[in-house]
Amino acid sequence: MSNDLVIKDLCANIGDNEILKGVNLTIRGGTIHAIMGPNGSGKSTLAHVIAGHPDYEVTAGEIWYGGQNILELEADERSKLGLFLAFQYPVAVPGVTVANFLRAAINAHRAEEGKDPKATAIPMAEFRKMLREGMKTLEMDEGFARRYLNEGFSGGEKKRLEILQMTMLKPGMVVMDETDSGLDIDALRIVAEGVNRLAGPELGALVITHYQRLLNYIKPNFVSVMMDGRIVRDGGPELALELEEKGYDWLREELAGAA
Amino acid sequence: MKQSITLKDLTADLIVEQAHAEQEPGWLAERRHEAWTFFAQSGPPEWRRTDLSGLAPDALTLSGSVGTELIWDASLADQGIVFKPLRQALNSHEELIKAHMDTAVAPLDHKFSALRAALWTDGVLLYVPKNVAVDTPIHVRYTLPADHHMIMPRTLVILEANASATVIEEFVSADRSEQALAAPVTELITGPNSTLRFISVQQWGDGVYHIGGQKAVLGNNASLEWTSLALGAKVQHIEAETTLKGNGSRVNWLGATFANGSQVLVTAPWLRHIGHNAESFMQFKTVVNDTAYSVFDGMIKIEHESTATSTRLEEHALHLKPGARNDSIPGLKIDTNSVLKGGHASTSGDVDDEQLFYMQTRGLSKNEARRMIVMGFFSPALDTIPVEALRHQLEAVIEAKI
Repeated sequence: MSNDLVIKDLCANIGDNEILKGVNLTIRGGTIHAIMGPNGSGKSTLAHVIAGHPDYEVTAGEIWYGGQNILELEADERSKLGLFLAFQYPVAVPGVTVANFLRAAINAHRAEEGKDPKATAIPMAEFRKMLREGMKTLEMDEGFARRYLNEGFSGGEKKRLEILQMTMLKPGMVVMDETDSGLDIDALRIVAEGVNRLAGPELGALVITHYQRLLNYIKPNFVSVMMDGRIVRDGGPELALELEEKGYDWLREELAGAA
Repeated sequence: MKQSITLKDLTADLIVEQAHAEQEPGWLAERRHEAWTFFAQSGPPEWRRTDLSGLAPDALTLSGSVGTELIWDASLADQGIVFKPLRQALNSHEELIKAHMDTAVAPLDHKFSALRAALWTDGVLLYVPKNVAVDTPIHVRYTLPADHHMIMPRTLVILEANASATVIEEFVSADRSEQALAAPVTELITGPNSTLRFISVQQWGDGVYHIGGQKAVLGNNASLEWTSLALGAKVQHIEAETTLKGNGSRVNWLGATFANGSQVLVTAPWLRHIGHNAESFMQFKTVVNDTAYSVFDGMIKIEHESTATSTRLEEHALHLKPGARNDSIPGLKIDTNSVLKGGHASTSGDVDDEQLFYMQTRGLSKNEARRMIVMGFFSPALDTIPVEALRHQLEAVIEAKI
């Protein structure tokens, strides 16, 4: 199906280091799929390669989404296809307000080739209403929209803004890169509720996390484990609980034994 | 001056003769004579980073008083505010002008300062009396009428005690295919407890050489918010200073310079502390594109007589192309042991790749992301522009340069 995210034999380097060593993974549209794994296993690299970060060199494999292999597309073209990366470390852009940035992003999504951008732009009143409602559900202060993008934001504010952007851009597939890192329980609850409100047949999610904690709030349909640049085990929600209880070493040993 | 006279045909006698013909006061004719003599005897200034080799002023013609436009709510005159062309103001406010003109920017400093003092015709006087506060912006616009012309306008702003005003000084013209010269002088004299917001906008067309002197002198507890925008001209050389003469005076000075093509834009803004307990903050931002060159030659000078100074100077530069250059030369000269806080910082680099990627993942093209980053970089200065139409026009100029 075209709203599945299909990753085939993906290998990627940064500099001379091979990080992804043949990743095979399918995220079904409309499902939540968690990827867990120890630090350094390549989870964040996978997220960045899916989103199209220029520093990573893909040496083999394919990523299919929306009926095409997206590896040749720029990051903005992937976004317009419906992919969304929620960053582990959202980037500050001084002088650019949250409201102006969101409006520019929405208008970029609405733009159509050969049409005047003014004709496809979101009407101001509609944008304001959408922004106000989005901020309200995420328990964000109204003044937030006038602040500069991620500048001086707390960890919780940054992650809420990621979810706000996701809410307003309405992607078909989100990749959440350690969204739980740096969040206290309250912020985690707000962020998770934000994701759960969007979850449903229209949204697939790849949820990357180091800890089981996030999965108490965002319930995955599937769980896969990544180690040393590969997916080493697939399962259901019970796999996450097993990892929480026993850590990763038993799996490492089991795999070494099998090899 | 007569419109047809080129610089090479001018003499001291002609200048004095012309001043009399215009019925200028004797002291002014004397100042012009002295300045011209200084000009004629001086060699070219030794500005290492400002390339004036393409400037041939001898063939330039003086514009006469045709380049000054005053934009304001004339009913403000009812409150005693004077805003009129400087030459007209000589008839009504001669003593005021005589007492303040040339007190901030020294006329006999170098060849071009002398030229400005000798030949000025355009200009404006703004006088705000004691206890009068004006919110609506008062705007003077200088233009260059044609190729091969030169204009030497003078802005003289005098705020009395407890007065407040917002002033825009704008330099604008169409692109010039041949050279033209603008050599303006801006003097801002503020009295005790006065508040001045001053926005200076240099957006000449191509081909213009701009050699300007600007100085603000602050009274006791006076406050200045100064925004300096430099976007146009072929070559710009601006020497600017805020003298914190009064005790408890404050300045917040923001700059935005954008050089593209083969522009050379040099700015030398100084903060000079004389009074006690004065505070200054300067933040200049520079974007360079193509093969343009910009220079920030900023300086904090803390004089011997000052005490308890707080000051900070920052310059931040953004490079859009590898061939573009920016020299940042922040300096700090302290002649006293009594400084409360003092510091400077400068940063320089390309547009940040991680910012571009972040914005692209939201659907913005690389160009659109770059545009937003540059506009955001300049937003502290742009946000101070009180006239929306002017701000939008300047944003469009900046966008076209990215």
